[in-house]
Amino acid sequence: MSLLNEPAGNQPVVTIKLASTSDELMQCFALRSAVYIGEQQCPYWEEFDGNDFTATHLILYVDGEPASSMRLRWFGTFAKFERAVILKRYRSMGLFIPFTQWAMEFARKKGYSRVYLHSQHRLWPIMERQGFKKVDDKIFHFSDHEYGAYYCDLAIDAKDTPTMYSDPLVLNRPEDQLDTPGILEQSVERGATNPHAGWSERRSN
Amino acid sequence: MSIVKQSIGGEPVTTKLAMKMEDSMQAFAVRAACFIGELDVPYSEEFDGHDFGATHVIAYVGDEPVGAVRVRWFQSFAMPERLAVIQRFRGNKIGQLLIERCRKLAETRGCNMLYAQVLPNDVTYWEKQGWRRLVAEEAGGAPKRIVAMVRAVDPSKPLPEVEAPESIVLRPEPQLDASGLPLGTASN
Repeated sequence: MSLLNEPAGNQPVVTIKLASTSDELMQCFALRSAVYIGEQQCPYWEEFDGNDFTATHLILYVDGEPASSMRLRWFGTFAKFERAVILKRYRSMGLFIPFTQWAMEFARKKGYSRVYLHSQHRLWPIMERQGFKKVDDKIFHFSDHEYGAYYCDLAIDAKDTPTMYSDPLVLNRPEDQLDTPGILEQSVERGATNPHAGWSERRSN
Repeated sequence: MSIVKQSIGGEPVTTKLAMKMEDSMQAFAVRAACFIGELDVPYSEEFDGHDFGATHVIAYVGDEPVGAVRVRWFQSFAMPERLAVIQRFRGNKIGQLLIERCRKLAETRGCNMLYAQVLPNDVTYWEKQGWRRLVAEEAGGAPKRIVAMVRAVDPSKPLPEVEAPESIVLRPEPQLDASGLPLGTASN
């Protein structure tokens, strides 16, 4: 979890995390239903298009209340950001840019050097101010909106980027906490008793 | 009983009980669209902790989930709540279809009474479907924020007069038991 602004006075507390429990996943889906199905009249099967269980979901809370979410999918050479929503009542708070920055930092720490997204025409200036560049001049449309493809290069740091030669237990950590020892590192203390050592591959005749 | 349209734009209108995770997900999506998206209800109020102790009914136009209602079960009544129909499908009596499915479900479970807490503006809608106020409206009384309404599951067996409760307690905060409900006062 990260604090975007210090909780000073009556400033709302904003937290962002990887959706890592079924409740958090459900919150992401509820936010998308509210914005896309409720506000923008998107059909259910276009919104929930079959890619939700191959993706990473990020969720942002304002004072503990689910306010914004984003879906990230991982391709060979780039991360694709999709389904970014902010609930209407939280839209004037300037959450979009810090949330996108957080997601970019998340992708960068995973070792991705490029982010790709489809941006609705009206948001192009915002994306360009954030350092996103057009992939090409094509304009395409789906679900009633016009889009352009954008990308942004991320400065990955060769010494922190996960590789096959990284500490194996670092690769096991929760992906939004790659800097902090995870629960499996704690399990190391129990030692290796290899309880299944005597099992053969075939368990039955 | 008015006739319910069986198809919209050539697509059949159907209802089903949520049986799988995907079904429940669809019910939650419809409610999130209507209550959070349209009516600006906070997530934590809409998903109040009762969803996994309840039965969910979903309405479809073709394969598109367009409506949902949640039924909670009490010893002496069944309580439909969180009735929602996606905006562009309203005006097709889908809400009525969902409530009727709740009634039939209550019937198969040997339940005699349906109980609902209704916004004052919606009282007429429920009355048209055979519901009545639990407590008669007081002339000159202060307007209520929520109106308790009841309906006999079997219309040929009308409910006996129920005693008027002193007040109906509505708890906005998540209550994981039913203690906020007028159990003792709405029984038959």
